Amino acid sequence: MPSSTLAAEPERSPWRDAMQRFRRNKAAVTSLVFLILITLVCVIGPWLLPHAYDSTDWDALKLPPALTHSHWWGTDESGRDLLVRCLMGGRISLMVGILTTLTSIALGVVWGACAGYIGGAVDQVMMRIVDIMYAVPYLLIAILLVTVLGRDFYLVVLAITAFSWMDTARLVRGQTLSLRQMEFIEAARAMGVSTPRIVFEHIVPNLLGLVLVYATVTVPSVILTESVLSFLGLGIQEPMTSWGVLIHDGAQMLDSAAWLLIFPALMLSLTLYSFNYLGDGLRDALDPKDR
Amino acid sequence: MLAYTFRRLLITIPTLLVVIGIVYILLFSAPGGPFDSERVVPEAIQAQLMSKYHLDLPYWKQYLLYIGQLLQGDLGVSYRYADWSVNELVSGALPVSLAIGGLSIVLSLLIGILMGALAALFRNSLVDYLVMALGSLGSVLPSFVLGPLLVLAFAIGLQWLPSGGWDHFSWPFMVLPVSLLTLINVSTLARIMRASLVEVMNSNYIRTARAKGLPIRLIVFRHALRPSLLPVVTILGPLAVSSITSALVTESIFSIPGLGILVVNGAANRDYTLVLGLVVLITAMVVLVNLCVDLIYAFLDPRSRA
Amino acid sequence: MRSIQHTFLAASLVGALALSSLFTWAATVPAGVQLHAEQTLTRNNGAEPETLDPSLIESVGAANLTRDLFEGLTAIDAQGKIVPGVAEKWRQVDPLTWTFQLRPQAKWQNGDPVTAQDFVYAFRRLVEPKTGSKYARTFGDFFLNGKEVSTGQKPPQELGVRAIDKTTLEIKTSHPVKFLPELVSNPNLSPLHAASIEKLGREWTKPGNLMGNGAYALKSWQVNSKIVLEKSAGYWDADQVKITRVTYLPVEDGHVDVKLFESGQNDWVYMLPPGSYDAYLKKYPKDTRNTPLLALRFYSIQTQSPFFKDVRVRQALSMVLDRDILAQKVTADGQLPAYGLIVKGVEGADRVDYEWANWPMAKKVETAKALMAQAGVKPGAKFTFSYNTSEYHKKMAIFAASEWKTKLGLAVELEAMEFKVLIKKRHDGQFEMARDGWNADYNDATTFVALVKCDSDQNHSRHCNKDAEQLIQKGLKESDQTKRKAALNEAIRLIMNDYPIIPLLQYSLPRLVKSYVGGYNTENQMDRFRSQDLYIIKH
Repeated sequence: MPSSTLAAEPERSPWRDAMQRFRRNKAAVTSLVFLILITLVCVIGPWLLPHAYDSTDWDALKLPPALTHSHWWGTDESGRDLLVRCLMGGRISLMVGILTTLTSIALGVVWGACAGYIGGAVDQVMMRIVDIMYAVPYLLIAILLVTVLGRDFYLVVLAITAFSWMDTARLVRGQTLSLRQMEFIEAARAMGVSTPRIVFEHIVPNLLGLVLVYATVTVPSVILTESVLSFLGLGIQEPMTSWGVLIHDGAQMLDSAAWLLIFPALMLSLTLYSFNYLGDGLRDALDPKDR
Repeated sequence: MLAYTFRRLLITIPTLLVVIGIVYILLFSAPGGPFDSERVVPEAIQAQLMSKYHLDLPYWKQYLLYIGQLLQGDLGVSYRYADWSVNELVSGALPVSLAIGGLSIVLSLLIGILMGALAALFRNSLVDYLVMALGSLGSVLPSFVLGPLLVLAFAIGLQWLPSGGWDHFSWPFMVLPVSLLTLINVSTLARIMRASLVEVMNSNYIRTARAKGLPIRLIVFRHALRPSLLPVVTILGPLAVSSITSALVTESIFSIPGLGILVVNGAANRDYTLVLGLVVLITAMVVLVNLCVDLIYAFLDPRSRA
Repeated sequence: MRSIQHTFLAASLVGALALSSLFTWAATVPAGVQLHAEQTLTRNNGAEPETLDPSLIESVGAANLTRDLFEGLTAIDAQGKIVPGVAEKWRQVDPLTWTFQLRPQAKWQNGDPVTAQDFVYAFRRLVEPKTGSKYARTFGDFFLNGKEVSTGQKPPQELGVRAIDKTTLEIKTSHPVKFLPELVSNPNLSPLHAASIEKLGREWTKPGNLMGNGAYALKSWQVNSKIVLEKSAGYWDADQVKITRVTYLPVEDGHVDVKLFESGQNDWVYMLPPGSYDAYLKKYPKDTRNTPLLALRFYSIQTQSPFFKDVRVRQALSMVLDRDILAQKVTADGQLPAYGLIVKGVEGADRVDYEWANWPMAKKVETAKALMAQAGVKPGAKFTFSYNTSEYHKKMAIFAASEWKTKLGLAVELEAMEFKVLIKKRHDGQFEMARDGWNADYNDATTFVALVKCDSDQNHSRHCNKDAEQLIQKGLKESDQTKRKAALNEAIRLIMNDYPIIPLLQYSLPRLVKSYVGGYNTENQMDRFRSQDLYIIKH
């Protein structure tokens, strides 16, 4: 065989494999595209639209959506344009959703993997701390954080992270317990690989699939928790808004101005569905055993 | 196993003490107190109320007093519901929440496992997409939207069921709240089940079994199901506890006198004793349920036994 | 209560002494109205009551319940008028002394007669610090030595109330109180059965224990679910009580409340959710009711804060708020704009608007801008507005902020918080401008004056006008109602010209009440309905 043919064959890296598998999953690809699009629209859109998210119009209260006037998606009970508010709300919800999920998943993974791998008394203490966090009512934590630290956006992220990481920790610990006994881990131990390296280079990658899927379960719950906190005055303040707040307020107007619920709910559910399919797609793509 | 269980139960006590301590700190740091109201309370009366409820004592003394009462099974008197003791309030609300939350967890488990398994076995087909779309409904639409929609459809539109209320566990009042909670819980359980079963079906020993030509039904039920249930069981614990103790939105939409309403009203009104009493209950539940879950986990996966 | 009507009432009572037992004051069913076979009512109370102990009740819901379970010296009927209760008649012996004659047929549930001593016991209990009632001063201050007893300076025995004999009660007031008959109709001033309370202690309010003298008895109480009252056979006017069973619901959410109404489980919605009034008026024209209350929505201004120290700033902000849009478009539930402290229907002072109230908005804005310039506040200046989380307050806050932004160029930072936190901030003066409101405890101007007079606990704006204070003190000592009103009018005028608060709207109560609930009407401006004044029409 001519040497040039041999040299021309590209390296098969696991990442390229994963990318290929991902591309084949139509739902996942569509979802990724949708998510990118909606993020772009939420970030750029408000600058392009004629109305500001907080400009009230007392002569245009509860206008139904129509293409004939400038409020394509209608207005709310203070005359504010729904479309631009949905986009601004998307900024907040996406930011909160993604940031909070990242931090809570990261914390949960590290916590659970360490507890599960190290075992013994350390495991007991770490998991009892998890129990304690479950038992403390999150409302009180939120109230205290707002009182002490104020109402910065990042504190909302902190507050929600504080009581969202435990599920991931338990999940990861469980998986770690099973993985711990596997041969390749024993082999690594026998070779003298240090504990942190085993945890981060061998255990965590094998959990990634499940964790990814659980991350997509976390995103919606985080977004909705943010809306509950904002409703109680512990989150973002008027006139800033989020999908959760828009949906909550819209649900109050179901009888008289259903569009105030339908549009933000549609945006939220499509986004969350996309996260779901994306998560499943990523899990499938990254699973080394998946052919 | 028995020794392990006993050790875990023993650790409940320090856990409880720590939780009570933390909640104490949180409650007292929160601005506003139980006696703050629109009609200002005159000094003499404020002092009277404070001493009646032992709030004039230093914090550590109050903590010890509370623990002492707790050991005698006395959770104290509520501030917000002044005619009732916390014991009475909790024992009134607990059976209600247990019924609704418990029933919904059982249903969600069965339906969630079924849906997740179907989706996993028919991966990336129409069945998968449809089942998952349906199953995820409970997580993409908030409960405060789903609930009123259910009421609009079944109570006001079709008039099949009451739109809310509670009447001594009579079943028409339970259908809609249980359905709402089930819809929500199913979404989590189904997704975890699907992901987990997919992973298991891809594992070496399952693929070996398939290569050996074993029928798929045998493989799934005999070999794949058990390990795939592990993450589901792990998540089930916290899900069960929160369905019973934190179903606030469901309880307020359907006017159910459960624990969720007590927790939120307690926190909002700075009802120290009520919140602490509920926290004691929740802690006990969390510890017990997590212990049960861990035991079931050990049973299902012998490899995890330390 | 108008003084003419009161004089007439007193006269007719005195004249009809012999026939007094034949006068009944419960449900008067108009001629020709057919009654439904089942006389039961389910009504929503807005929240779970904090207690059923009359000395300790604070909320409207708890007052509704105790109004059915107990009966005071007098009562309020469905039209909001005073009617005799346990007391058959009463008279004012001198400016500071009243005697009440109790009817001998009034009985407790267990058959014990209701005596004057029961009232003495109850009033003392309400006012003494040991009980810990939040209404100790609100009502206690009217009695002789009431203030001193509530602050612990004098023992309860010194309170200005005593039993002359079993059926005669004497009340001594600390200053002339023309509206005392209305005052004593308050459920906080219900008589109490001392023996039950002493014996049962904390448990005395539970079903089976609660000893009341009202038209109804406590049948069952499931916290956060429902409270059921049943007609009390021993009540002296039981023949006229039509409704045999009342179920009180504790639903807080207006939407849930309405859904229960629509599915037939509730006859009486507590209050419609904000912004829904027009829609429900169209949907249920016969069931939608709206009553203007003796209550004021306003914004408190912290007059010591740097931003609001200058009265011109406060005046400017008050002027430019378009209360018509606020009433018609923003809240849109039939509330009346308020340009003064006193709302329509309040006795004891006149309803006076600011003189700029009817100016065209353009003129108001121009004047306001000039005031701001004089005060040295430039566009772009910022202040914080605090409110407690609720749909209603949020909408109003957004409107107010947008008014001040577009008309005066001010940047308003909206700050939502829990109710408890807002209460604390208002009491501590830790705010610049805060959302506020006040519901009359009794129908007299003094309940609103308490919001703006010096060293009053309800005065959140920390404003004190010494001249006005002198006039108020003078007015309170007056027996002559005309002179009293004049003094209060002038005092209010002086205070309001300092703009310590921004009055906005008179509260109204939009709700749904099934058209077959007879007796409900919109003249009852304090929303005090005894179930014994209602009846179910055939439907």
